[in-house]
Amino acid sequence: MPDVQSTVVEFVNKLRKRKIEGSQATAKCTVELLRSVISYQRVPHANQAAALIDAVKAVGQQLVAANPVELAVGNVVRRVLHIIREEDLSLTTAAMAGLDLLDASDDDDVDNCKGIGYPAMSAAVVAAAARSTLRPPSLQTLLEGTPESATVPYTSSSGADSESKTADKSSLTRKLKHDVIEGVNQLIHEIAGCHEQIAEQAIEHIHQNEVILTLGSSRTVLEFLCAAKEKKRSFRVFVAEGAPRYQGHLLAKELVARGLQTTVITDSAVFAMISRVNMVIIGAHAVMANGGVIGPVGVNMAALAAKKHAVPFVVLAGSHKLCPLYPHNPEVLLNELRSPSELLDFGEFSDCLDSGAGSGSLQVVNPTFDYVPPNLVSLFITDTGGHNPSYMYRLIADYYSADDLVM
Amino acid sequence: MWRSSASFILDKHQNNKPISLTHSIDSPPPPSASMADENPNPNPISAYYQTRAAHHGIVTSEWLEQAQAAVRRYPDHDYSVSPVSGRPFSVIEEFNNWRQQPDLAEAVAAIRALAAVIRASEATTMMELEIELKKASDTLKSWDTTSISLTAGCDLFMRYVTRTSALEFEDFNSAKSRVLERAEKFGEISCRARRIIAILSQDFIFDGCTILVHGFSRVVFEILKTSAQNKKVFRVLCSEGRPDKTGVLLAKELAKLDIPVKLLIDSAVAYSMDEVDMVFVGADGVVESGGIINMMGTYQIALVAHSMNKPVYVAAESYKFARLYPLDQKDLEPALRPIDFSVPVPPKVEVERSARDYTPPQYLTLLFTDLGVLTPSVVSDELIQLYL
Repeated sequence: MPDVQSTVVEFVNKLRKRKIEGSQATAKCTVELLRSVISYQRVPHANQAAALIDAVKAVGQQLVAANPVELAVGNVVRRVLHIIREEDLSLTTAAMAGLDLLDASDDDDVDNCKGIGYPAMSAAVVAAAARSTLRPPSLQTLLEGTPESATVPYTSSSGADSESKTADKSSLTRKLKHDVIEGVNQLIHEIAGCHEQIAEQAIEHIHQNEVILTLGSSRTVLEFLCAAKEKKRSFRVFVAEGAPRYQGHLLAKELVARGLQTTVITDSAVFAMISRVNMVIIGAHAVMANGGVIGPVGVNMAALAAKKHAVPFVVLAGSHKLCPLYPHNPEVLLNELRSPSELLDFGEFSDCLDSGAGSGSLQVVNPTFDYVPPNLVSLFITDTGGHNPSYMYRLIADYYSADDLVM
Repeated sequence: MWRSSASFILDKHQNNKPISLTHSIDSPPPPSASMADENPNPNPISAYYQTRAAHHGIVTSEWLEQAQAAVRRYPDHDYSVSPVSGRPFSVIEEFNNWRQQPDLAEAVAAIRALAAVIRASEATTMMELEIELKKASDTLKSWDTTSISLTAGCDLFMRYVTRTSALEFEDFNSAKSRVLERAEKFGEISCRARRIIAILSQDFIFDGCTILVHGFSRVVFEILKTSAQNKKVFRVLCSEGRPDKTGVLLAKELAKLDIPVKLLIDSAVAYSMDEVDMVFVGADGVVESGGIINMMGTYQIALVAHSMNKPVYVAAESYKFARLYPLDQKDLEPALRPIDFSVPVPPKVEVERSARDYTPPQYLTLLFTDLGVLTPSVVSDELIQLYL
């Protein structure tokens, strides 16, 4: 346990100092950390899922507080919590089914169970009630109230059991952790493989003799374009350089190395060139629950240009970038201001930057991210396929539980 | 000869009661025989808006006279005959009693009335109880066809009852008491819903913002009250809301909470829109497309806000979701109410008396409900889940 604690502290420091770049790397490291937290966590016999959830939540809160702008951390923590709840639920329903069979065969046990004063409901009902705790609140469950009965059958089964059942329960303990770790491994695999999944869909979207515009540099976009190139599509790419980091230059170099005809343009030239472009493809830093996109600075401009000229605006995002929160002030709260030295040379401007008496001072604002509202986005391509911005809430309901939204 | 909308509802009404074009607002039209059978309140004034006006204390004396005359004229039709015994239990009376309370939502009043039906019922099986409830629910719905939350509340409760009976409750009495308990708890659910909505919307109100509000929605008032309690600095612009003068009432309540308020006449909304940061409205009903039905004037404000890129936020409890899909403004049950111009209207002049309008989903940004923050496209999903 102390070993895990020190790794957590180390990771928190790395996040705070922004040592890890990129949401995929961050997501992967976070999941691996949570996996070790889960495997080292000692769980009590009753209600083990709750113990695991509390442990993961505690670590998750520290991680999110260290870097609130890197939404992938929070996303991945919530994914792990959802996995724990799901595995617990499937084990409970399996146990219930088992219990039902045992009861049917033994009359005494049936009487005992009912004698406890336990409401006479069938296993199916209990499973349904338990499943409803997993789903977000809906109109169906509005009148049903909070189904605390989900935990009641579990403890009653431990009350009215025989020696064979206690043996079952300890294997149940191990089974939950085992299942959760399997689920987490699957999640890691998914995160690592998101680029390939997205790139597979490239051939459906990029056609012959098209002109694609992209901004900055994204590994997902690079693999997407190269996959289309490999399938023998010939097309051209315009790369907006993405000042002040000029990562567009790196992307252009990579594309040329793979044999694609590339043109580098300045960010200011996007509006001028947009009429010659067939499609805009960018990679996202995060996708919010309303379908809004947080991307590298400059994408809002590209999105507005695309809307004005009726050019499809396609966003590529792995599923670890899907955030269940609604943005209420994303330009300020989900943004990070980088060092002004990327824009201005300190030596030349040192006298202006001084807020000396009398003369004004020069302010430099260097935001990292931009927010694109959902009405400007035409299509999202994730590892599960292509979706409308208004469909994002469905994916979020699949991947996350409502109880984990506020950590 | 005038261009009219392709609406089946309007056609049906025009077939039922031929109204001459010179019909004045003071005399209610003569009820046709078919109308009296299905609707014991043939006065076309919408009972829902009547109640809301009564809550706000804005009742003109001539309106009150008309309403009382209508009730006096048809005392027999107010009684719904129970199938078991001919005792005069009136679900409509119950409903009206509950509805008069100003802080109670429409759907809660409906569910309480249905709970009273259950308590008074002498049924011995779930099936009998369901049939009684269905009858009572249909009576309520047909009595006031214009109230959406009434219909939605009844449907929700009926759905819950049928699903409860599907669960294997061995004992009828325990099932009945459970349903009764849930119905009584619904009032709490409604209050809790308002608090949840208030909490969810706190993040969206930032310091120094200007909020435009239309109509007097109790949910929106709760949101603003909670923000003031959290010491947020903001100001509110209230549109007057003719002819109910809801804006003046809301301004009075907000001024009591020390929130800076400014009153606008309805026509001044576009003029003030550029200093507004967001628009908050409540809803009488949320329809399947994700649009809302609300007090007359909401559509106008949403259009103006959309054209100036201001977000429009709707605060509505989830039991207001209704299975309606209006295609245009006239595609709703007409809900009329008298409008006072403070000068007598010349006899040949028609007055547009509709009390509500429909705002399509593309002009709404987000819906704050007790199910969470939703985009308009989620509404149909929730409705499908309920009715499937």
